[in-house]
Amino acid sequence: MSRRGPLITLASVAVLAVIFLWANTVAGKSAAGTSATSAGATGTAAPTQTAKAPLSALYAGRSSGNEVAVAIAINGRKAAANLTPGQGGVIQLQGSVTGDKVTLTGGNGAALSGSVSGVAMFGTVTLGGGQQGFPFSAEQTVVEAIYTGRSSGNEVALAIATEGRKAVAYVCNGQTIEAWLQGSVNGNQVTLAGKNGTSLTGSLSGLALFGTVTPAAGLNFPFSAELSPRPAGVYQARITVNGLATRIGWTVLPDGTQLGVAVAGQARHPAPPLNLGTNSFTPDGGSFKAAPVAGQDTVVSP
Amino acid sequence: MTTEQTAVSLARDQYAKPLVVALASGCAVAVLLGVYARLHHPTHYALDVAGFSSPLYAKAWLTTAAAVFAVVQLVTGYRITRGAAAAWMPALHRWSGRIAILLTVPVIVHCIYALGFGTYSARVLAHSVLGCVFYGAFVAKMLSLVQRDKMPKWVLPVLGGVVFVSLIALWATSALWLFATKGVHS
Repeated sequence: MSRRGPLITLASVAVLAVIFLWANTVAGKSAAGTSATSAGATGTAAPTQTAKAPLSALYAGRSSGNEVAVAIAINGRKAAANLTPGQGGVIQLQGSVTGDKVTLTGGNGAALSGSVSGVAMFGTVTLGGGQQGFPFSAEQTVVEAIYTGRSSGNEVALAIATEGRKAVAYVCNGQTIEAWLQGSVNGNQVTLAGKNGTSLTGSLSGLALFGTVTPAAGLNFPFSAELSPRPAGVYQARITVNGLATRIGWTVLPDGTQLGVAVAGQARHPAPPLNLGTNSFTPDGGSFKAAPVAGQDTVVSP
Repeated sequence: MTTEQTAVSLARDQYAKPLVVALASGCAVAVLLGVYARLHHPTHYALDVAGFSSPLYAKAWLTTAAAVFAVVQLVTGYRITRGAAAAWMPALHRWSGRIAILLTVPVIVHCIYALGFGTYSARVLAHSVLGCVFYGAFVAKMLSLVQRDKMPKWVLPVLGGVVFVSLIALWATSALWLFATKGVHS
């Protein structure tokens, strides 16, 4: 019997593994490459189109002849829709998302099929009962979300607020490291950038966001963040202390833990504790208000 | 007495080198895989196999297919070891093994590249260790096959058994767990 057989088997396994690793590395690089490009041109570049529906989004629109209003929610692979015709009650549909295609069905032959293209969805809707189908278009409506988490070595805490396709983030260690970041959500890719080479890239996976954050030049931390309820979020205050313009940022985690940094000129201090009930804080006897930051806000001056 | 001892020790020496090489290579592969999986920063991203709802399900079905071939391996391997194999069985054994191991390659690349050596639960830790053991045992078995004339008779069945058991345990700690918790679908 051949003595080379086992060696050929071993070699083919090794070759296949190397091919897969290489393909993954190339794919990973090209993904990183596109995020780097869009990070460099945040706010100006049109987000690259992906052939995938976003992880979670709401769409609202009408059929072309205004026969029926449609509202579609997608969450991962699942989709649901409400059809509201001119007369009669609401028709509910259930279905699934495959790639950029959305397919839903309901009782009595009602159905909707569409495809996601950027922030819009186009397709055909049928009310059922043997009626004809209507073409429809729907737009993605704004969805707010807060993701908070920490870097893997607990070097920094971060909070990311998204609103539609826009996102802001505040990353800090509560002492001296802090960065304001601004960017976009594109499919499941989150890409933000700030001043002085700071950045955050991540991908949404279910309710979690995994990625890498650079809160200062030369510091790269892997992080994980989770979809978080209030009071979690990004909070900001701009005040004048002793004649110095001071900007304070807080990252608040869902359990109320907060890390913040106050920046006045070149000086950085731990932020005063924020009262999460009233959004107020009292540095040195004064009383000031902080505001939660939303995904559409501008936190990095152009 | 003396000649007999010499003969025995000669026979042992004859066995020793190829066996030690095969086992040491297997151990080295297992350790290297584990160390790389631990040190490589997980990307949480890797190429998908088309046609499945998620990479997880693609991996689960690939592993399930490999496990089915592994059962073929067990049956044919048993017959071959017993010397009771039909003429076509060695070929079936070889090819089912090749197919099984090649099916696991995309899975392990995803595991190591995108996820890494996980320790966050008993299942994940067991799965990570078993993955290293599986490939180590596989390499040891392939190298033993090359030198099979110089091996004790028990080496191939034992290594084959380790490969089989670790693959089935890998399947149980991943695919079976996924099917049981998230449902059986593509």
